Amino acid sequence: MYKVLLCLRYLQTRWLAMICIVSVMLGVATLIVVNSVMNGFSTKLRDRLHGLLSDIVIEAYDYDGFLDPKAKMARIMADPYLAKNIESMAPTLEIFAMLQYAYHDVPFTRSIRLIGIDPKSRAEVGGFSEFLTQPDRKAKPSFDLSPDAKARQAKNHVMDRKPTYFQELPTDPAAPPPPEPPPSKPHEPHGLIIGHAIAHFRDRTAGSEGQVKDIRALEPGDDVIITTVSGQKLSPVVDRFAVADYFRSEMSEYDSMYVFVPIDHLQKLRTMEDRVTSILVRLKNFDEAPGVVARLKTVLKNEPVEVQTWEQKQGALLAAIRVEKGILNILLFMIIGVAGFGILAIFTMIVAEKTRDIGILKALGASRFGVMQIFLGYGLLLGLVGCLLGTAMGLAITHNINEIESFIGGLTGQELFPRDIYYFDKIPTDVHPMGVLFVNIGAVLIAVAFSLLPAFRAASLNPVRALRYE
Amino acid sequence: MNDLVDVPAATTGQPLVGESVQPDTTSVPIKPVLRVNGLKKAYRKHTLSVPVLHGVNLNVDPGEFVSIVGQSGSGKSTLLHLIGLLDANDSGSIEFEGRRIDNLPTSQRDKIRNEAFGFVFQFYHLLPELTALENVLLPLMIGKGPFGWLVSRGRAVTRAKELLERVGLGHRIDHKPRELSGGEMQRTALARALITKPRLLLADEPTGNLDDESGADVIRLLRTLNREEGLTILMVTHNLEITKDTDRLVRLSKGLVVDEELHPAA
Repeated sequence: MYKVLLCLRYLQTRWLAMICIVSVMLGVATLIVVNSVMNGFSTKLRDRLHGLLSDIVIEAYDYDGFLDPKAKMARIMADPYLAKNIESMAPTLEIFAMLQYAYHDVPFTRSIRLIGIDPKSRAEVGGFSEFLTQPDRKAKPSFDLSPDAKARQAKNHVMDRKPTYFQELPTDPAAPPPPEPPPSKPHEPHGLIIGHAIAHFRDRTAGSEGQVKDIRALEPGDDVIITTVSGQKLSPVVDRFAVADYFRSEMSEYDSMYVFVPIDHLQKLRTMEDRVTSILVRLKNFDEAPGVVARLKTVLKNEPVEVQTWEQKQGALLAAIRVEKGILNILLFMIIGVAGFGILAIFTMIVAEKTRDIGILKALGASRFGVMQIFLGYGLLLGLVGCLLGTAMGLAITHNINEIESFIGGLTGQELFPRDIYYFDKIPTDVHPMGVLFVNIGAVLIAVAFSLLPAFRAASLNPVRALRYE
Repeated sequence: MNDLVDVPAATTGQPLVGESVQPDTTSVPIKPVLRVNGLKKAYRKHTLSVPVLHGVNLNVDPGEFVSIVGQSGSGKSTLLHLIGLLDANDSGSIEFEGRRIDNLPTSQRDKIRNEAFGFVFQFYHLLPELTALENVLLPLMIGKGPFGWLVSRGRAVTRAKELLERVGLGHRIDHKPRELSGGEMQRTALARALITKPRLLLADEPTGNLDDESGADVIRLLRTLNREEGLTILMVTHNLEITKDTDRLVRLSKGLVVDEELHPAA
C-alpha cells in the first residue's frame, strides 16, 4: 500500500517528474498524429487506386492488346465460380498519346495516357463516373456533348459551316441550274473526358491565404487534337475531339494523365478493330480476389494476358508506403527512446534525492523488492499519465489538423500541405485504435524499462549509508 | 519467523503491555531479550580496513532501559545499526528473544525490523511527502499487503491517532514534517516507532538535534513508555545528562565496552 501512496505523492510533488511526463506525452502525441496522417494518406490512396484500377485487371502484355474481348468475357462468365463472383467487366484500350490545344491562340502540347472505354460498362466497374464533374453525366456517363458544349463547339467553328448569305445572292433564271453541291456535313468531333489537371492551370498567386485557384484552359466544347500511333505499324494517327467533361479523381497522377475517349472510335483510329489492352473486373466481394485470379489464370491459360489484383499491380507503390511508414515509426519510437533516457536521468536524480527516504523505508522493514516496486511503479505511473495526455493531445491534433495547418500556414506564410500534390482538399487522417494502443503500450514499456536501472539502484542501497546520506 | 515475533510473553520474559516490570528477586535468572556476543565490524574502502567494533558483548533484559555512551567514533551508532539489522556484522552474533538473528535471510531481517523493532533517529527521518499520521502508519503499511492493509486500516488509523495524541500531537495529524518543529518531528518519529508495538526500541541520539526542553520531553516519554508498558529501550547518546534516567549505562570506547554502570534509582 505504501508503494502506491508514495508513487502518487512523488508524482504530485516532484516537478522533475513533469518533464518525464511531458517528454512521453510529446512522443506519444507525435506518433499518433504522424501515424494517423500516414494512415489517412495510405487509406485514401488505396481507396483511390482501388477505385480507379478495379479489383482485378486482365492485361495484355503489350500495347497491341488482344483480340475479341467479348468472346473472352463470355468464356469467363461461362465458368460458374467466376460468374458467381464477378459483378461486372469492362474492356479498355490504353495507349500513350500527345494532346494539343490552343489557349489564347497559344498551342499547348501534353503527353497523355489515352484510354478507350465504353462509358456504361466502365462505370459499372466503378472508379469512373463518380469522378466526372457534370452531375447529369455522373448518373449517365457518356461522351455526348452537353447543349452548352455543342453551342461552344459551333461557335468555335463558325467558318466551317455553309454561310447563309450565299443563298441570298441573285441568280440568273436563264442560266442552267448549277450542279448540286456534294453532300457535306461539318465534322462533328467525338467527345472526350479529359483529366482535370490537363484542362486547368493552377494559379498560386490568385487566391488569398495560400489557396490556389484553378484557371480553366479548356471549356466543354473546346477542341483538342490527339496524336497517337496506329496498331502494329506505329504510323501516326491524328483526330480532333471536343471536351465533354472533366475527370477529377484528386489523384494528381491520374488527373494530369488520363484522357478517356470512346473505345470503338479509338479502335478505328488505331486500326485495331476488336482489340483491347485490358479487361477490368469488378468482384462482388474483394476477399475472393485470390481465388478469382487463380481461376482466371486457368480459364485464360493460353492467352497473352496477365491477371493481377489491383494490389499486385500497384505492389511497388503500396510497398513503398508500407516501408515509409515502418521507417517513420522506428524513427519516432527513437523519440520516445530519447524521452526514456530523460526518464533515466531524472529518475537517477530522484533516487539520489530520495536516498534518505529509501534508507528510512528499509529501516522500517521495506524489502528490496518493495523499494524497487516504488520506482518501477513511479515509472509506470509517469508513462501512463504521459500516454494518457499524449493520446488526448495526439487525437486532438489529428482531429483539428487542417485548422492547425491553416493557422501555421497563415502565421508563417508557407503552405505546409500543398494541395496540388494529391488534390486532397484536406489533410486526410485515419486513427487506428489498435495503432494508438500499440503506441501507448510501447511508450509505457519504454518508461518502465528506463526506470528499471534507477529502481534497481534504489533497491540496492545500503540502509545505513542511505540514512547517513545528506 | 512468526514464532519469533509472536512468541508468548511468558516464555521470553517479555512483559505484557501495560504491566509494569518488578525487579525479579527470585533465584530464576531473567533471560535477556537481547544478547550480543563478540560483535566485530570493520568498514572497508578498497584495501583499507577501518575496524569499528572489536568484539562487543552486551545483554539487555526485558523491560530494561539501557543507554550506550561514548565518544564520536567509538562505534555506538554502528553497534545500534548492527543490532537493528540495518548492517551486517563481520563476526560475533546477535540473539533476540533467544534466537540468533544476524544470520537470517534478508526477508526475515526485514520482517523483524518491521514487527519487532522500533527505530528513533537523531534526524527524525520522517518522509517529507507524508503527513504526520501517514508517517506513523508507514510501518503498518509496509508490513501488510494491500488487502491486509484495507482490512485493518480502520484500526490502524485509530491506533495511530491515539499514539499521536499520547505524544501530544493529536492536533497536528494532517501536518507535513516541514510544518512541525524539531521536537514535534521527533515525537512523531516516536509514535511511528511504537505503532507496531515493538519489543525493542532502538534510539540513535534521539535528543541530539533538539533543544534541552524538547529533548527532556522526549526522554520523559521514553521513560514513561519503559515504566508503564515495559518497553525495552536501547538508546545511544553522547549526552550524559539524559542517561541518568536510564536503568543502565554502557560506556563504549574504541569499539569495546569499557564500563557499565547501573542506575538503580532511575
